[in-house]
Amino acid sequence: MSTGAQYVVAAYGVVLFALLVYVVAVGMRTARLAREAELLARLVERAAGEDEEAPVRTPEPADASSASRT
Amino acid sequence: MSSTTDARPARRLAVTGALTAALTALAVYGVFFVAPEDADQGIIQKIFYFHVAIAIASLVAFGVACIAGIAYLRTRQVRFDEVSSASVAIGLGMSVLVVITGSIWAKASWGTWWVWTDPRLVTFLIVLLLYAAYFVLRSSAEGERRYRYAAIYSVAAFASVPLSFYSVRVARSFVHPVVFTQSGANMPNSMLIWFVVSQVAVLGIFLTVLQLELLQRRADSALRRVKARLEAAA
Amino acid sequence: MVLFAILAMLIFQFAFGSRLGDLTPFAGGILWATLALTAVLGVGRSWVPEREQRVLDGILTAPVPRLVLLVSKAGAIYAYLLAVEIVAVPLLTLFFVRGQAPVDVALVAVVCLLANVGIAILGSLLACLALFARARELLLPVLFLPSMLPVVIAAAGATHAVLGGTNDLAEYRGYCLFLAVYAVIFGLVAYATYDHVFDD
Repeated sequence: MSTGAQYVVAAYGVVLFALLVYVVAVGMRTARLAREAELLARLVERAAGEDEEAPVRTPEPADASSASRT
Repeated sequence: MSSTTDARPARRLAVTGALTAALTALAVYGVFFVAPEDADQGIIQKIFYFHVAIAIASLVAFGVACIAGIAYLRTRQVRFDEVSSASVAIGLGMSVLVVITGSIWAKASWGTWWVWTDPRLVTFLIVLLLYAAYFVLRSSAEGERRYRYAAIYSVAAFASVPLSFYSVRVARSFVHPVVFTQSGANMPNSMLIWFVVSQVAVLGIFLTVLQLELLQRRADSALRRVKARLEAAA
Repeated sequence: MVLFAILAMLIFQFAFGSRLGDLTPFAGGILWATLALTAVLGVGRSWVPEREQRVLDGILTAPVPRLVLLVSKAGAIYAYLLAVEIVAVPLLTLFFVRGQAPVDVALVAVVCLLANVGIAILGSLLACLALFARARELLLPVLFLPSMLPVVIAAAGATHAVLGGTNDLAEYRGYCLFLAVYAVIFGLVAYATYDHVFDD
């Protein structure tokens, strides 16, 4: 490969690298969202479990209303 | 805003993404296998197809950020701030790529990694600093003030972009009266068409990434809202 | 502030002058590098009295349109810059310029008058954005200087055209025109956005 072509490849390679770095960043953000969603699911299930003992107020209305809002 | 309980944003993203992927593949094919090689610069000229496309796309991104900033100031709806900050982030990333690919071109053409004689390269360095300051500003303020100040700055910074470009170019034109055309003012159609294809492809990349960013931010904020409710109720 | 400008010019002399001897070609650049840094200091200080004495709340509740606040702040910065320039420009010609005519200094004065407008408007707007930040002294230069670069480029270019030995009036006019355009554009930006700065 001539040196000119090497520079062209380098330039396009940098762009490709940047896109891949972004993919990784998205992946990490998705992982964090998944962790939080999992945590929230567990919280809701635990609260539903406690609800059987003390049915005063439950988090379900809050959960449903925010789900319907989104 | 009921945009995440229905599938429209995801579908839009899929369509934009698929089109962009196809266009990008087409552009790469066209640039390397169809477009003629430049008589003066040889194969190095091929850097320009994406270098210029990314430059213009980043300016579009900053323009979108400016318009979204104005929209926020008028309506105070946070979704406009989301669009504005995501666009600045993408524009900033693209500006970094412009500077890097421009530097590679400089090395290929002139033998040095940096030249002060290319107005586009120098302007994008200024633009980089301008919009890096945007994030410094955002982190310095909280709550509603953050959105408001960021919106104001997104307008002021966008006004600075053409001013910076022209000041650099005017300064250059006095020192070197010869007009500097790296990409050629009269481009044959066989090259021009692939410039256009590359440009549309990169604009598509901007739109795809923007939609992806917005989706993630909305997911994040929805989860945060649920969390707040659960913690309040518990 | 004048003291700061003099010190800055001395720094340039010692950074370059010992090696180069005649700094005339750099006189324009030295002047505007000095003024840019002095402007950052001055803009940062322009809101200090209001903030420290809590006068700001009083001013904001007064039935005065925000635009008046902008214009008055910009005017204050303009006057401050002018005061520094009255000392700095003669000193600059004394220290750095060989073989200048008095007319040249008048031309440089015009550059100052024009450039100050853009700097004052920009400073007035951006200082407000940095007003409530904790790291105010760090934030303001970061916000202010990138937007100021076109002014520095044009003003230094115009000053150099006059003082740097070439005396190119076409160049001078070009740069001055740019400074005027800059002031107009940022005037419009500030006019459009200023109402929103103090919305709390």
